[in-house]
Amino acid sequence: MEKEKIIIEYTNYKLKPENEIEELLKGTKSIYIFWCKKCFTKATLDEPFPEIIGKIKQEKKVDFSAVDFLCNNYHINKIIEDIDFSSFEVIGVISCGIGIQLVSDIIDNKIVIALSDTISFSENSTNFPIEHGISLSPEKCGGCGQCYLNITGGICPIINCAKGLLNGPCGGADKNGMCEVNKNKKCAWIEIYERLKKQKEKLNPTIEIRNYNIIPDEEKEKRTDENIERRQSGFYGGLYPEEEKEKTENIKIKKYQDPPYVIIFLSQHTGIPSIPIVKVGDKVKVGQKIGSSSGFISSNIHSSISGKVLSIEEKIHPVSLTLEPAIVIENNGLDDLSSEIQPLENWYNLPKEKILDFINEKGIVGLGGAMFPTHVKLSPPKKVDTLIVNGCECEPFLNSDNRVMIEYYREIIKGIEIVKKILEVKNVIVGIEDNKKVAINLLKQYSSENIKISQLPTKYPEGAEKILIKCLTGRQVPKKGLPFDVGVVVLNISTILAIYRAINYGFPLISRVITISGEDIKMTGNYEIKIGFPLKHIIPSFIDENEISEYDIKMGGPMMGICQENFETAVIKGTTGYTFLKKTPVNFDEDRNCIKCGRCVDACPVELYPFYFALLGQEKNFLEMGKYNVNECIECGCCQYICSSKINLLKFIKEGKKCLQQK
Amino acid sequence: MLATKIKNEDEILKYLEKKVIVFKCFGCKEVYFPEEGINEFLKKNNQNIIEIIKIDYLCNEEFAETIVNKNIKKFEKCENIIVFSCGVGVQVISKILIEDKKVYKNISVGCDSFCLDGFQGITAQKYSCSGCEECYLNWTGGICPFTSCLKGLLNGPCGGADKNGKCEVNRSRDCAWIKIYEKMKKLGIDKNLKENDIFIKNYLLMGKKKEFPL
Repeated sequence: MEKEKIIIEYTNYKLKPENEIEELLKGTKSIYIFWCKKCFTKATLDEPFPEIIGKIKQEKKVDFSAVDFLCNNYHINKIIEDIDFSSFEVIGVISCGIGIQLVSDIIDNKIVIALSDTISFSENSTNFPIEHGISLSPEKCGGCGQCYLNITGGICPIINCAKGLLNGPCGGADKNGMCEVNKNKKCAWIEIYERLKKQKEKLNPTIEIRNYNIIPDEEKEKRTDENIERRQSGFYGGLYPEEEKEKTENIKIKKYQDPPYVIIFLSQHTGIPSIPIVKVGDKVKVGQKIGSSSGFISSNIHSSISGKVLSIEEKIHPVSLTLEPAIVIENNGLDDLSSEIQPLENWYNLPKEKILDFINEKGIVGLGGAMFPTHVKLSPPKKVDTLIVNGCECEPFLNSDNRVMIEYYREIIKGIEIVKKILEVKNVIVGIEDNKKVAINLLKQYSSENIKISQLPTKYPEGAEKILIKCLTGRQVPKKGLPFDVGVVVLNISTILAIYRAINYGFPLISRVITISGEDIKMTGNYEIKIGFPLKHIIPSFIDENEISEYDIKMGGPMMGICQENFETAVIKGTTGYTFLKKTPVNFDEDRNCIKCGRCVDACPVELYPFYFALLGQEKNFLEMGKYNVNECIECGCCQYICSSKINLLKFIKEGKKCLQQK
Repeated sequence: MLATKIKNEDEILKYLEKKVIVFKCFGCKEVYFPEEGINEFLKKNNQNIIEIIKIDYLCNEEFAETIVNKNIKKFEKCENIIVFSCGVGVQVISKILIEDKKVYKNISVGCDSFCLDGFQGITAQKYSCSGCEECYLNWTGGICPFTSCLKGLLNGPCGGADKNGKCEVNRSRDCAWIKIYEKMKKLGIDKNLKENDIFIKNYLLMGKKKEFPL
């Protein structure tokens, strides 16, 4: 019951009377109808079908599209592009006034007929708009631009007084304090007086005169344009979360202490887990291969310390959060280097297959988080012409890639040359967000002519592979396609460094740079840390034990990071950092009702309609999610971040993907 | 669609003279919320700030109540509460604090709210709808005279547009009725404009009180 309360239909329309519609359509033989499935309402999977369409169908040729958010100009432009109207005389629209105006603006060579009237949600006034809050509380705001709530105890006289009065012509309330206009309503000014009395405040008689033009039209228009521009710059949707990068961006990479033992998971890559080639009790050295790749899409793993293999047992994997096999090695503190650590001499004159085998041997995978084996990525089945190096790092808090670029820019340029040779490409574009000016300047100074350093606007998730390709080359990776389908290979900046180190020094991937940051923690910084470092031994250096329950510890950044509840886990190759976030008092909830505010649709960078995943997920109808292209979701978390009802959307999406895969 | 801007600093400085708890709602940050300005202002004048409570969607009563419950003890220590949010957020929090929780503290506002066109989600739109309940778009070629004409005129007192088709109120804006005429001419229905009578607007419909299921 409590939940039902807050669901109020706001943006609402009703069909025009039937005789009026008949009159409007007199003489037309065919009509294409757009029907908007309403917003700000108790969302359902199926909005009741407007009967009127069926009625018109009996006499005329009718076709229609049911659309969510007919007012979303980006989506509507695309939808309209795909429809052939040539055989229809007129266009009919059932929606609020915004949708009708938008459609008539886009299709400006046909008559657009409004079949509905928009119902006002304002309570008392006609001379200024009244707006509701995003999450549909009964309180409203007139947006007058000079808030009076400071002097009126938090009750708005403009909205609550039937005449919207600050002073002037009122006949006065009656003895019971009721309004002269509506005897069922309490006089707003009496309410204000009583509220102020409770607060032991007095009504300040000097009230500023209302200025009806305090925010001129020009300024509003400017803001509207700015907003549309921001939303559609580079790519559609996305977010501008608080960056919080200043906490670690100027801290040099430090070597993190040595672990007492390491937990090295057999699955640290996309594909088949590797097979252990050591036994319990074996002595291993730094850089020694301990797990062997077991298929084409698989990777080798190496020991990051020297010592004795304690066990091969199941531990909680930080990505899947389920038990997965891992090799536990005790550190003997000697740091004995394995004889396997040998550089690839004279690589420039070797055939590319040799270099690829070497990269495979050294267990290099994508370090951006997806952990796709690099040797597979570098042998694409189709001809590629462009290498994109991803230096975006759009996640808030994280600075590991940024610091790698600043401190190892020479190595990165040399690494790019190696990859260029393997892929036989001429075009190289390094994409970096414009909040990393130092890195951009350093790379620009040092790079040769054929490496283009491209500055991108800072917007989350700029670093997502498909989005980055679209922004840098204008090419659109097809649905279910991969970057090589459009002739591109994308590598993360840290992966390039790992390739360089492997080939020039022979080091396998046994350590990586991570950022450890968060809210009110000690020792924030960027660290070069051994793969397999147990999380249990990292946490105490950053927060006190009694504070652990107050924090969410995420592997990765706050947006895409995976919340670690069990600390019996470790750093893996795809760990970009750890973010310690204070738990928010309002939790994400799976059962909260969607009010269809449309924020997720506005934020989704892959142009999906995420609220359907909430509706379908709550009905446990996961298979149906395929209809709404759940497989295209990149799990960037924008929809969940922006959700005004705080629905746990990502959980539903992941479950939906899993169900579809099993099918 | 509501957007906010920070009030004149001198005006809100006086609310920070006493011990104060700050609410900062960033739910509509993606529309327009002067977050940087607010952060800077609070950093500069942080002497009396007991706590800054960050929340998104303060307008959601469930969220607002949860966060008030969690911090309820802190309100005893403060003398003033200042809220940076749109007008809806301030009204929700003052209702919860004063009516429900009996925390009789002065609640001040740090922002002025104003309206941008468009309803939906976070993207502002160039179109606006006033919900007049008798849609005129069929008579006006899909351009709304209420929201596009600065005076919202269907007939009556206008001094007329200038030679360039600009509005008499604001010379940088196109006259809505000239835009309507040109659009209709393009569609070949401009004679409707001369022949058809436009019905008189019923403002009662617009001002009708909507019943809330509360």
